[in-house]
Amino acid sequence: MSPNATVSATASAVPARPDPILSIRGLSTAIAGPSGPITLVDGVSLSVMPGETLAIVGESGSGKTMTFLAALGIAPPAVRTTAGQVMFDGVDLMALDARALRARRGAAISMVFQDPLSALNPVFPVGEQIVEVLRAHLPIGRREARERAIALLERVHIPDPHRRCDDYPHQFSGGMRQRALIAMAIALGPKVLIADEPTTALDVTVQAQILELLTQLREEIGMALVLITHDLGLVARHADRVAVFYAGRVVEQARADPLFRSPRHPYTVSLFRTIPRLDSPAGAALVPIAGQPPNLAAPPAGCPFAPRCYAVREGCDTGRPPLVPAPLADHLSACPHWETIGAEVQP
Amino acid sequence: MTAPLPPPAAEAAAGAAQALVDRRARRRALVRRFTGHPSLMIGCAILVLMVIVALAAPWIAPYSPTKTSLVKTLLPMSWAHPLGTDQFGRDVLSRLIHGTRVSLLVAFWVVTLSLVIGTLVGGIAGFAGGWVDRVISVANDILLAFPGFLLALAIVAARGSSLESVILAVSIAYTPRVAAVMRSVALTIRPRAFIEASHSLGMTPTRILLRHVIPNALPPVIVIATLSAASAILAEAGLSFLGLGVQPPIPTWGNIISDGQASITTNPLISISSGLCIAAMVVALNLLGDGLRDALDPQMRRQTARIL
Repeated sequence: MSPNATVSATASAVPARPDPILSIRGLSTAIAGPSGPITLVDGVSLSVMPGETLAIVGESGSGKTMTFLAALGIAPPAVRTTAGQVMFDGVDLMALDARALRARRGAAISMVFQDPLSALNPVFPVGEQIVEVLRAHLPIGRREARERAIALLERVHIPDPHRRCDDYPHQFSGGMRQRALIAMAIALGPKVLIADEPTTALDVTVQAQILELLTQLREEIGMALVLITHDLGLVARHADRVAVFYAGRVVEQARADPLFRSPRHPYTVSLFRTIPRLDSPAGAALVPIAGQPPNLAAPPAGCPFAPRCYAVREGCDTGRPPLVPAPLADHLSACPHWETIGAEVQP
Repeated sequence: MTAPLPPPAAEAAAGAAQALVDRRARRRALVRRFTGHPSLMIGCAILVLMVIVALAAPWIAPYSPTKTSLVKTLLPMSWAHPLGTDQFGRDVLSRLIHGTRVSLLVAFWVVTLSLVIGTLVGGIAGFAGGWVDRVISVANDILLAFPGFLLALAIVAARGSSLESVILAVSIAYTPRVAAVMRSVALTIRPRAFIEASHSLGMTPTRILLRHVIPNALPPVIVIATLSAASAILAEAGLSFLGLGVQPPIPTWGNIISDGQASITTNPLISISSGLCIAAMVVALNLLGDGLRDALDPQMRRQTARIL
């Protein structure tokens, strides 16, 4: 709990900040491996403020999605949550029984998935599936639920919702399917919407529309939006705050502006260097991050990024670096040498 | 299921009318999906014919199936008795017509019972996983390991022979097949994203099983159930042939073959005609099962959707 205690202490020390709506503290999950458990999420702590957009960035397998699946209690059966606390709206989700947790999932806190085609049941019309979500949570009749489903489809800008609500998922385009899934996720007016790479499976113009829709709904409903993505462009445009994941840990957490201006962790810096920029000189090469992400079954002893770090120095390979203020209370970095990191950033 | 009538009523009504037209078009597409498969249509036609014969048996059968006559025993084919009479002087055609009822009744109940129980049991096993799956699977595998007919034979022998015993025995013998198929399909459905999405939307496991897992698994399960109807009819005939099934004087195709056995050299028509009835029914059900498999194939469905 020691690194997490630092986080919560520093977070609460900042005046005039509301309590987080969702706060994950020291969450760890593991899966059984051939030689002992493999840690997928390693003591992740982060908080989501009411109404904000928090972006979660990191490469595939860094534990972004697993953190939230575990927080909602819907991680695959083989994945065990080994430690941590998930406070949502003043209640510890980990302490709730299945029934009480279910009542919150899809109602107060809901999720939108990456691939909109496979996240819809192919054998039922889209409207029917929204009706089902409504009826799972509200004591309303079929007819009323249908009216509300049509209104929801209208709300996510599906044209001609009266007709389209009887269409099957395969009759919808990719963008419309994602809209339909968003309609299901916001059906009960959630306080937090977790969007897990909501645009990865869509083409670029549709991506922009979906994000615009999510942002618009966030404002209308007043919900917080957790945007899990590996598209840093999206993050720059839409996020209020950012948490950077690496090898199952949060390595940096900050407001979006300071993070992009002066990242305080070498991994974040390296990540930014992989983005092509319009204003970089012609012919300038992108800088890939050397090496491979660590093997989660046998993680390095110290900082997980040390083997790939350009600024690695003595001591990085021992002891697990905690998240520390760098230097602001709302800019946390898991690099003990953050001071020198910020200076090395390219403009 | 129409649109609300308040303010934008005209627009909504137009939308609803259009929705109705769409729904009709969709229904037509559904019908076309099934009519496009000749084996399915032939199987269906034979089955429908059998059902009509079974329902209308008392009216279309020329004689009573159980009325014996000592003067009319073992008559050959004639206009009065198209398939002759058996050793008790009963009209063979009338007995075959009435026998259709038993066969269909057995097939109907076996399919219904094995489909409902097998789908639920297999669905629960595949969807729940863990120890639930292990317990159900082991029990199911034990039942599967018995040859179906032998198991049915043992159950009928233990319970005494009656129509109910036959239905129960054959259902117990064939439910494990449906359950095994259902379980394996449920296993492939469980990791799909819409199941995860349903969990994330706060649905109960029961609801997810009934609304998401089972409907998506039904096509292959229905095919297996249809094919096991054919086996059920064969099993009933077999049991009746051995004298363990439905008891005389109630005619079934199985005991007609058995009765005809005594006079197979002089009046082979008795056994042959009832054997042909069984064959026709089994072929019809197999055609139906094959046709259904093609018609319910999602690949085929998508093609149809594209053509439309």
